[in-house]
Amino acid sequence: MGNNNNIVALFAKAAFEVNGKSFNNLTPSTVIASLGMDSVAIMELVGFLEEQLGLRLPDEDLALVQTLADLEALIQRIQGETPLPA
Amino acid sequence: MSVYPPRSPPAPYQTLVEALQSFEGKTSAAFCFVRANGSECEFSFQALYEDIRRRAACLRRLGLQKGDRLLLVLPEGEDFVPTFFAALWAGVVPVPVYPPMSLGKLSAYVDTLAAIMASAQPKFVCTPQKLENVLWPALSKTPSVQGILSAETLQNPTPTECMQTPENILPGDTCFLQFTSGSTSIPKGVVVTHANLVANCKAIMVDGLACREGDVTVSWLPLYHDMGLIGFIIAPTLYGLLSVILPTTSFIRNPGLWLEAIHRKRGTLSFAPNFAYALTNKRLRPEALERFDLSCMRAFGCGSEPVNPQTLREFAQKLAPTQLKPTAMLPCYGMAEHTLAISFVGLEEEVRTDRVDKGLYEAKKQALPPPACPPDGEAPPPQTLEFVNCGKAFPGHEMAVFDAGGRRLGDRHVGEIWLKGPSVAQGYYENPEATEATFGGGWLRTGDLGYLVEGEVYITGRSKDLIIINGRNYDPQRFEWSLDSLPNIRQGNVVAFSRPGKASEELVVVAESRAPDKGELAAQITQHLSELFQLACADVVVVPPGTLPKTSSGKLQRQKTRERYLKGTLLSAAAPRPSSSGNVQLRALLQKARILGLALVGKTRLRSRKAAQKLKLAREAAQKHARHWLSRK
Repeated sequence: MGNNNNIVALFAKAAFEVNGKSFNNLTPSTVIASLGMDSVAIMELVGFLEEQLGLRLPDEDLALVQTLADLEALIQRIQGETPLPA
Repeated sequence: MSVYPPRSPPAPYQTLVEALQSFEGKTSAAFCFVRANGSECEFSFQALYEDIRRRAACLRRLGLQKGDRLLLVLPEGEDFVPTFFAALWAGVVPVPVYPPMSLGKLSAYVDTLAAIMASAQPKFVCTPQKLENVLWPALSKTPSVQGILSAETLQNPTPTECMQTPENILPGDTCFLQFTSGSTSIPKGVVVTHANLVANCKAIMVDGLACREGDVTVSWLPLYHDMGLIGFIIAPTLYGLLSVILPTTSFIRNPGLWLEAIHRKRGTLSFAPNFAYALTNKRLRPEALERFDLSCMRAFGCGSEPVNPQTLREFAQKLAPTQLKPTAMLPCYGMAEHTLAISFVGLEEEVRTDRVDKGLYEAKKQALPPPACPPDGEAPPPQTLEFVNCGKAFPGHEMAVFDAGGRRLGDRHVGEIWLKGPSVAQGYYENPEATEATFGGGWLRTGDLGYLVEGEVYITGRSKDLIIINGRNYDPQRFEWSLDSLPNIRQGNVVAFSRPGKASEELVVVAESRAPDKGELAAQITQHLSELFQLACADVVVVPPGTLPKTSSGKLQRQKTRERYLKGTLLSAAAPRPSSSGNVQLRALLQKARILGLALVGKTRLRSRKAAQKLKLAREAAQKHARHWLSRK
């Protein structure tokens, strides 16, 4: 999860797996709420990301995430708090 | 055969506060909260009793008195349940509100919250510290709010005094305000009394579910929503049952956790909207089911949005290896204005549907079985519609069907469903106009369309234009108004409605526009609705001006637009006729000028020369307008 391309690629993959949606124009500043996914689909997507990354993103923190960059910062923070086995 | 001891439930109390008093000394488990990380904590009725009285003392110290409102934005059940009950103990009226959604647009959330607060006028807002910053912008717009009460303060109150004696509460006193899913144009808070709750919980637990000692309820429903709050917090505690609560987001991340909790806790009763059963069907792998034994389940209720019989059948089939009884699937009908539940089907029945003749239904509003097919199969079978049986009104309650003129209809005639009885709420908080429109005249007018057959109700649609997606209600006007701000949209010429989808209803928008790039406008509309409401728009249709059907007074006709959309005749039925030919347009406008002229003649019959002059001017103006319009195309 070092650079911005990773969150974009990861998010695009998750959106495709969960919703069958292909997003081509994602950037770190993309506002997630503008992507035309409903709240249930978004939570499904979060579940997919958590499974892929082996971590859990707290609901209160997710409420403050607006962009892909915010999401990446949250993931990095949680990864820092609970280091995964290599 | 039942595995439960044949013991009738205790007599219901007059108020919820009486029920809370009965918690004293009761050591059995009241709640088990499963946390997001999978850990659990259990509270006995006695422990809850202590906690409630401590928290009530805290509320009193803040100066909250009987009838004052306390807004609850508490995502965790462990905070929500004792705080909600503590408010009742102190006579304070709790107002449960949904917390901000994950990855959602905060500004849209803040706007809705501010509108709810403007209506409820709370004195305090109770929320965890983490959410305080999010709520501030809404709080600053609400002068009634004196401060924030953090959930953490209530967890460890100092000093540890108790409010020993509860506030004196009468059955007719307001218990709480239920804001209906938060997404209508002006949020309306349903006023629910203690008597309403006692009556409706008895209907649910005794008449509907025949609850017995040993029943365990399991829910992941949001606690700020009528089905989660009344069905799984209030009703189980009134009847002394254990309620297992999971976080909503845990279920959506992994629907298997719902079934796993039922299996582990030997759950017997659970409810969810249709979309949840569809999500489980979609996401659950068959191998995940192998270790579950769900033979304990007595009822999987399905309500709060239209029930799709196919979804429930698929769910029952998929879960057959877990020993789930097919009769466990329980379609039901309910709404917040009727406290919660209106009708359930019988406990021992499978999902039952009624097939009716489509032609008669559409032409005569009658729901009659189709004529029998001749056995030789020569004639094609008649077209039919299928509706789900949602059961009978509960004892002491009345359900009837009325036509638009307020005449009561007989069996198999389709009209609006009206309700009477002790579960009908008192109205909308501080909103006499909306209250009169829905609750006036001795009946609760549900806005739902349906028909009765020997007392059993079949819901066929809605007379109000309400859109229900994933169990949440949306007023179409809210979508339409929000789209008026987009460039290229003709203000007041947007229609939003729902169409049936696989899991839930789906949102469709039809907008009139002259925008050259219709695809781009459709994308803008989708994005706009997504940002504001966190909703996926299933279809956007951009049509030429004049396509949307309107009443003679120029009001948009949503139901007609929807019908044409579903039939695929949206464009062909357009008036004026297809915009391909300029001459056709011009003729239509000249026709309009003639009608206008005639109308003028009619009004000024006595001064005929002047009338003729006016007619001429009107024609000229119309022609000029038509040419101008055509030249812009």
